[in-house]
Amino acid sequence: MRIVWTFAIALAALAGSIPAQATVSILACEPEWAALSKEVGGDKVSVYQATTALQDPHRIEARPSLIAHTRSADLLVCAGADLEVGWLPVLLQTSGNSKVQLGQPGYFMAADFVNKLEVPTAVDRAQGDVHPYGNPHVHLDPRNISRVAAALVERLGKIDAKNAAYYQARYKDFDERWTKAIAQWQARAAPLKGMKLVPYHKDEVYLINWLGMVEMMNIEPKPGIPPSAGHLSEMLAKLQAQPADVITRGAYQDPKAAEWLSEHTKIPAVMLPYTVGGTPEAKDLFSLFDDTINRLLKVRKPA
Amino acid sequence: MVHPGIIAAAIVVALGLAPAAQAQANPELDEIRQQIKELKDSYESRIQALEKRLKDAEDAAAKAQTTATQAQSAAAQTQASAPPAPPEPPQASQQGSPNAFNPAISMILNGTYANFSQDPAKASVTGFLSNANTSDALGPRGFSLGESEVTLSSNVDHLFYGQATFAFEPDNTFSLEEAFAQTTSLGYGLTIKGGRFFSAIGYENSVHPHAWDFVDPSLVQRVFLGDNYADDGVQVSWIAPLPVFVEIGGGVGRGLNPPGSDRDKNGVGAGTLFAHVGDDIGTGGSYRVGVSMLRTSTDGTGTSIADIDDRTGTTNRFVGDTQLYGVDFVYKWAPEGNPKYQNFKLVGEWFQQRRSGDLIFDETGALGIGPTPEAFMLKQFGWYLQGVYQFHPEWRVGLRYDQLEEGSWNAGPVASANGVVKPDFTPRRYSAMVDWNPSEFSRLRLQFNQDKSQIGLTDNQVFLQYIFSLGTHGAHKF
Repeated sequence: MRIVWTFAIALAALAGSIPAQATVSILACEPEWAALSKEVGGDKVSVYQATTALQDPHRIEARPSLIAHTRSADLLVCAGADLEVGWLPVLLQTSGNSKVQLGQPGYFMAADFVNKLEVPTAVDRAQGDVHPYGNPHVHLDPRNISRVAAALVERLGKIDAKNAAYYQARYKDFDERWTKAIAQWQARAAPLKGMKLVPYHKDEVYLINWLGMVEMMNIEPKPGIPPSAGHLSEMLAKLQAQPADVITRGAYQDPKAAEWLSEHTKIPAVMLPYTVGGTPEAKDLFSLFDDTINRLLKVRKPA
Repeated sequence: MVHPGIIAAAIVVALGLAPAAQAQANPELDEIRQQIKELKDSYESRIQALEKRLKDAEDAAAKAQTTATQAQSAAAQTQASAPPAPPEPPQASQQGSPNAFNPAISMILNGTYANFSQDPAKASVTGFLSNANTSDALGPRGFSLGESEVTLSSNVDHLFYGQATFAFEPDNTFSLEEAFAQTTSLGYGLTIKGGRFFSAIGYENSVHPHAWDFVDPSLVQRVFLGDNYADDGVQVSWIAPLPVFVEIGGGVGRGLNPPGSDRDKNGVGAGTLFAHVGDDIGTGGSYRVGVSMLRTSTDGTGTSIADIDDRTGTTNRFVGDTQLYGVDFVYKWAPEGNPKYQNFKLVGEWFQQRRSGDLIFDETGALGIGPTPEAFMLKQFGWYLQGVYQFHPEWRVGLRYDQLEEGSWNAGPVASANGVVKPDFTPRRYSAMVDWNPSEFSRLRLQFNQDKSQIGLTDNQVFLQYIFSLGTHGAHKF
């Protein structure tokens, strides 16, 4: 008993001796939102990225390190729309941090600020792990990034009012570069219009919608359900009858099914970065889209 | 500046109602004609642009509504350059519905087919005073329904979160497993929980049975704590503001459940203390280690000493204090920290239980001795180690080893002389399981145990279990 109290007091003293942090401490659930937080927040924020591009954001363990960082965060920047439903609630409930609870300024869910696609009219688990609030992988339409950035700069200004002008200036600079980049991407990606994709999961929907591509089917029979051998041979038959242009998968998804299908259908399989860090080329938000478009253009047959 | 009259003329021209202008060789008129032509061109192109934008906006709106068919729609391809539709407020699909504030509901259905080579009704771990109402129940042979759990949870308001778990037992009885509220907004890493809840001691104790990696709990859990040790009380935990996870907490409660028993008195019936430390090891691994302690006491009800009763042929009762000390660790690993395809989980716990008080020997006078209260002390240990490997998104295999140590026994002279002595035996159990998880919401499991926890007996146990989870997507703790 006495040992425990001594330990507690020592820890409290240790915690008290840490100098108050001057920066806004951000816990970003996914790499894309960590990258955006850095773009807008600059050196006035410190960003902890909870997951990497090689991790499936649906299936993350509520690890002790995540609880520790949630406890000290001033702001959570996450995708929302139930993408993190399997782990974020645990972090919120166990962290003892009032600032980042639902409804507080420190709770920022990107999907709240964009129009979501694929909002189901009825949900049933027979459809797989469907998201009742719509598809949460919103960042692959760069116009959504613009909207989220605009909301994020406002939120940062609220949380850290004395640096609001700094964030605004950074946002303005980012937005200018981003708007220009969108125009360039759209021009470069013009040949991708009408391209028929077979993505692994429904996580490229916003990209497909933005560039006017077509999602023929998914490797997963239902969202979140890995493909069985039977499902793959069914897909093979379908693709042989009506070929797609490319089979895609994100960096965090198992390559085997895509490779098998590609081998048997002679349709090229391409790994897309999905988010920042998914490929060596996708170093930040700008190069994420550069690389995604490059990889698709490379396999696009001239019409 | 363009004269207003010219604009009026231009509009007339643009609307296609242009009167036949009388051409005259006049440089001023030519200039006016030129201006009108420019205006006309400009208006036409603007109207075209507006029409295109209107069409695009309509397409975008139509597309947002038809989610299922839009991918195949060739028309959708026309809008690659469509301007983004204006942001809407966050979607509230059930506006005005009285159900909008319903708590999240989830339900667990499970059932088992079990095969025991020894009689499960008589199973008791040799040398261990066990906690009668939960632990010795190995479950019936053959087909049986497990407990069906319903959990309701929701934020109460901006300050509190509440959760209740009801368990419907297969014999149509009902129990309130957990019903608690906890703070969400104290800040400073503090959380206070009040009500009935699974205590945070150990690791397995606060894991609901449907989330266990095996059909049954570990032997230490079973003999020292029951399936899940819950109490009615208050628990406080504090997470240190460090980059490493450090949690300290403790609780006080009624002491309702074994190893304690409910007593009608003021004050505190049971107390717990726990501390956890955890962090990541590289990108793929993470761990949590913990120490914990439980202190409670019993008046003899609820704590079965069937083992001593059986071995001596008498009826006995233990009255006194119980202290439990535990060390636990859990380590999880996945390639690149992505557990979806492959992952590995290693869990180990060690507990020491000390009981000190009185053993009332031969309460019913079966040996003709009569109720004899004597000082009694018991210090026993136990541990388990289990590993579960998910080698495929849908398949997991697991191994577990359990061992208990009889420790030291200090019984009074009368009891000792009549057989209350430490058995020369080490209870052990070996378990292996494989489960199939077609989705995150269903699990079918096959498990084999070789249970050598009763002296002189080997119980080969086979279980086939299903666990289905309905409703809200539950978030599981580490």
